[in-house]
Amino acid sequence: MTPGGPARPEPHPSGKGGPPAAASHKLDWAELTDVIDLTLRTGEQLLTHGASAPAVERSVQCIGTALGCDALDILVSPNVIMATTTEGREFRTKARRVGALHVDLRRIAALDALTGDVIAGRCDHFELRCRLDAIDANAHGYPRMVVALCIGLACASFCRLFGGDWVAAGIVLVASSVGLLVRQWLAARHMALALNVLATSFVVSVLSALGSRLLPTQAPEHALGAAVLLLIPGVPLIHAFEELGRGYSLMAVARGVQGLVVSFAIALGLLLAMKVVGVSPL
Amino acid sequence: MSLELARMVGADLLWSALAALGFAVLFDVPRRLLPACLLLGALGHGSRTLLMKLGLGGVEAATLCAAVLVGFAAVGCARHARVPAIVFALPAAIPMVPGAFAFKTMLGVLRLVDAAAAPSPSLAVDTAVAAAKTALILAALAVGVGSPGLVFRRSAS
Repeated sequence: MTPGGPARPEPHPSGKGGPPAAASHKLDWAELTDVIDLTLRTGEQLLTHGASAPAVERSVQCIGTALGCDALDILVSPNVIMATTTEGREFRTKARRVGALHVDLRRIAALDALTGDVIAGRCDHFELRCRLDAIDANAHGYPRMVVALCIGLACASFCRLFGGDWVAAGIVLVASSVGLLVRQWLAARHMALALNVLATSFVVSVLSALGSRLLPTQAPEHALGAAVLLLIPGVPLIHAFEELGRGYSLMAVARGVQGLVVSFAIALGLLLAMKVVGVSPL
Repeated sequence: MSLELARMVGADLLWSALAALGFAVLFDVPRRLLPACLLLGALGHGSRTLLMKLGLGGVEAATLCAAVLVGFAAVGCARHARVPAIVFALPAAIPMVPGAFAFKTMLGVLRLVDAAAAPSPSLAVDTAVAAAKTALILAALAVGVGSPGLVFRRSAS
């Protein structure tokens, strides 16, 4: 986190770079089109799956220069990334839409390995395109029920960390697991993020409030507070501060506001649930 | 006294490890890397709790120290496993995210505008303190986890 801004020496600074073999070959206009398409696709996937803006910029510049263009300038903004590849007097500029944040560190690892291979010259245009397609298509994660159970366990752990008793932790385990399924069900139906969080927070809070009423627990407030933590916007908020420190103010503000909106939606859902169930506020 | 402390830190380690594991699974970390995420989660939150219990600083300073620890450990694991450090750092940082404070802030704001009750000055102060704590802890977390980038060249992603 350099206080002075983003200016740090990069492995392949834009302007002059790329391995010598690639630099000797002049790219024509069609090849520049290809390079910009590939680099933008890589950048888009990195950003969607949870990389921070500085990491995206570094990877995209490395790939672009390794594929042989003289310079590659990139703009990372919240919904769109844009890049210009330059080769002598030819240049191409293109924008690409970036979807909502969906953290997937398996894909981040795969994209990082791919970037490494391109920089080392072990991967040409065609192979890069094939492997990007493969990473894009590979949605194999953990089974939904396993994820739900693990998140339930995580939130139950938060409940224990806050000092809740075992009964409260059990309530949280059930409520948060159901909450994740609700959230994914709504997300698959393309509900807006804030509404999705609001609805999920409401369901989770109603479940944990009802549970605290029916079961003898000493810590109903810990059950309520911990159960909704499956929704905390941890990744946007951490990235916001990292990007702020590195001088990517636009991204930082966008992520910070998103984190704020999501936190607000969580609290609103919780308050609504407490009104409905009739539990006194925390 | 020290036995009590050890028991407390032990429980803290266990629960924060489980919390990190849960979020690592949500973030789709490959199975072979899950044990490292679990250990780093325990390292981060556990060391933070220990520092606070020993009276070596408030939650913000303790978070900064713990996050620096996590950041460097994540880079070490990343070199070993040949994946970016963020794969370990993000799940390990999640247990330290000030969810409870963020939450208190938002609930406070909502309750301040609640028509039924007269706005109370103490609630306003509590809300402002919670907001400031949220921001400071998040900043400490981001700075700490990113700190290896100041030392090593290609590690901060």
